[in-house]
Amino acid sequence: MSMAKENDSLSLVLIGGSSGSFAIFEEIIRLVRNPLSFALIFVLHRGKSSTAVLPEIFKNKTNVAMSEPYHLDPIEANSIYFAYPDYHLLIGPDRRFYYDCTDKDFFSRPSIDATFISAAVSGISVKAAMLFSGSSADGALGMKTLAEKGFPTYVQNPAEAESPRMPEQALLAFEKHRMVTGGNLFSIINDILQ
Amino acid sequence: MVLMEYSELEILIVRIREISGFDFSGYARPSLLRRASRYLTTHKMDFPQLLAHIEQGGNVVYGLIQELTVNYSEMFRDADFFMKVKAEVFTYLESYPTLRFWVAGCASGEEAYSLAIFLKEAGFLNRSLIYATDLSNKALTAAREGIFTLGNVRTFSENYLAAGGKHSLSDYYHVAYNKAAMLPELRRNIVFSMHDLTGDGVFNEFQFISCRNVMIYFTLELRQKVFRLLYDSLSMLGFLCLGKRETLRYSGLEENFKVIDSTLNIYQKIR
Repeated sequence: MSMAKENDSLSLVLIGGSSGSFAIFEEIIRLVRNPLSFALIFVLHRGKSSTAVLPEIFKNKTNVAMSEPYHLDPIEANSIYFAYPDYHLLIGPDRRFYYDCTDKDFFSRPSIDATFISAAVSGISVKAAMLFSGSSADGALGMKTLAEKGFPTYVQNPAEAESPRMPEQALLAFEKHRMVTGGNLFSIINDILQ
Repeated sequence: MVLMEYSELEILIVRIREISGFDFSGYARPSLLRRASRYLTTHKMDFPQLLAHIEQGGNVVYGLIQELTVNYSEMFRDADFFMKVKAEVFTYLESYPTLRFWVAGCASGEEAYSLAIFLKEAGFLNRSLIYATDLSNKALTAAREGIFTLGNVRTFSENYLAAGGKHSLSDYYHVAYNKAAMLPELRRNIVFSMHDLTGDGVFNEFQFISCRNVMIYFTLELRQKVFRLLYDSLSMLGFLCLGKRETLRYSGLEENFKVIDSTLNIYQKIR
């Protein structure tokens, strides 16, 4: 696969969550303003029949372009992307999105692990990866893989999460993720936006 | 979970080709890497062990190829898609004296049976022939048997009703030994046969081709070649259906199709 030569500075910010994460996603999107130096990718667990179009729901919260990408669409900075229900969203080393409908991870498709692991091995720089509330162990392996590659990783304080299991499992798999609390979310996001 | 790197995947692709002749070079790397990592995990191996393992050749390599190529499918996947096909495509095709459908990459037959059921309900299954092809013999054997687990059938039934099915899905199968077997009368108009989209050519002309979530496993270059094959296999004004996250973009054939539904990815060949 050939790497795109132009746009060498592409970096990703990955955010995963499940039950109890929606409000936090909204809060983050509110803080994000055009222009963004990176591509911001959200993976939220949702049922296959979910008809909610996230870019529509969030459209009044930010002025950054949002989409649920199509297979092979190029990943671009200054864009917000959402994983689509019933598919895994993979990050290709050629800086394109790839869809996959193989087995679910932890009963989830999209799975957070699928996206995060593919990003970790893609060769594309990951500026930050964050994992929030949820009731499965999805995301733990992806976060660990990213952290071991040297990328900054942030996990919600399980004590503050609506569903603590997902952040708990991530911290069990890898102890050194940085902790996100209600108190420091704003400053962490602002740091990432710098 | 055992993770693989792209450099290892390239080595694996070469070894599989040398041992078996099967060529994965046209397969999209991101999903192939995911599948290969899952293979390592389920078989409790690391990469060097996998390389040693496939040296045995024969069934071992064959099994690996099966696992790396198997497609996930369910009956009536995407209710809105089937509603649209019935409303816009079936009504268009209704007047044809005979009809040929092609389910390209049919896995275990889920889409082919779904089509057969809705063609029956539309009243023209008798003058239709559904060709359902896959490159996996194992998948085709399962497809011919038409036997599904009751757990899966529960999902299929929900999908069927959501897609506007006129009866109950249970009218189309019988239950034995805790499995559901599709009625033989549905199979009468389905031809299951082996076909490799990446190597085999045109074998018939169709008024309708469904190739949903199959080309997502091919590289951009191979995908263009397969698009050409599908295009050449369609009769003029025939319909092409792709998966929900696929598009005609990057196919090189955008100009030759009219968009019937851009969200559900239904196209009609117009030149």
